[in-house]
Amino acid sequence: MRKLLVIALVATMGFNAEAAKSETLALGAEAPVTDLEMKGTDGKMYTLDSVQGEKGTLVIFSCNSCPWAVKWESRVASIGNAYRGKGFGVIVINPNDPKRAAEDGFDEMVARAKALSYEFPYVVDPVSQVARAFGASRTPEIFLFNDKGKLAYHGAIDDNASDANAVEAAYLKDALDALLAGEAISVSETKALGCSIKFNEDS
Amino acid sequence: MKRHIFVFFVLLFVSCNAPKTDRASGNDQYLIPATAEEILKHVKDADARVVLVNVWATWCPPCVEEFPDLMAVYNQYKDQGLKIVFISADSESQADGAIAFLKAHGVDFPSYIKLKSDGAFINTLDPDWWGAIPATWLYDSEGNKRHFWLGKTSREQFEAKIRDVLMGGDQGVL
Repeated sequence: MRKLLVIALVATMGFNAEAAKSETLALGAEAPVTDLEMKGTDGKMYTLDSVQGEKGTLVIFSCNSCPWAVKWESRVASIGNAYRGKGFGVIVINPNDPKRAAEDGFDEMVARAKALSYEFPYVVDPVSQVARAFGASRTPEIFLFNDKGKLAYHGAIDDNASDANAVEAAYLKDALDALLAGEAISVSETKALGCSIKFNEDS
Repeated sequence: MKRHIFVFFVLLFVSCNAPKTDRASGNDQYLIPATAEEILKHVKDADARVVLVNVWATWCPPCVEEFPDLMAVYNQYKDQGLKIVFISADSESQADGAIAFLKAHGVDFPSYIKLKSDGAFINTLDPDWWGAIPATWLYDSEGNKRHFWLGKTSREQFEAKIRDVLMGGDQGVL
């Protein structure tokens, strides 16, 4: 009987641990680990504090290796470059362990940032620490903070990864425009299919 | 070079002859377009001691990598009451590739392909899920969700979780 109880307890603990891992930053929350240094593809070190913008800060978890991230990456470049010029801080964070996804190595990231003409930092998340702190689970995944540093939008870039011309709901762009205009964001949380983050398992 | 050309034509032949998801081919019963509501009903009605639900896609490398282990686990535990429900997150245009993949891995039971928008599908299947794949759930014989996790999983990890639900089912605990 005691053995059964132990089994039940262990099973329950296991389940809770899984649930805790997937807990995601809630709307209205502030960004965690804002002083953690991350290396950018330009060789400089960045923190979330250092990239804050006066209108808000756009944090994108993305990578080189996920086909879904690749489908969206030119939109990441155009939106990031455009809204950086409008007063937003922009940073793309690659949380994948390159040991688990070779295309996410630093050299490959440098080449991708150059090819896409990123005018904002594309950085390495050391041992997936930032993604864990945010409760991010997939790439690409957007966290948009307002000018007070509160999470205002979380989720997908838009509703059509495959075809930019067929997008019906441009969630991220609409949220950015709403923040610029000082208006409420109409859709502040969205979900989309994406690749699970290849977390560093050594940490 | 010659070898590459040969492989190209073999692949072309295979893809041209790949089964379609139309009624004439019978593959609509092999990879069934379904909403999350329909899939959850299937899980409830499965008449199994453990139902493993796995969302995968041909474009998802870790999904493809864990697939042989999932099938090995299925073959080991099916006689003890394990059923697997595969849900493809591929688009309609990728359905032929998904069917070919399932057949190549010996899947001889109906599988599903996602219908409706990502958001509606994800929220209905499980509000705790944000859409990352591979995603795997274990349901007990009563249709209760017992485990949910993301990412590539080893055969040993699949087995440990399945055994946990099998034991829980036997003893009525949790």
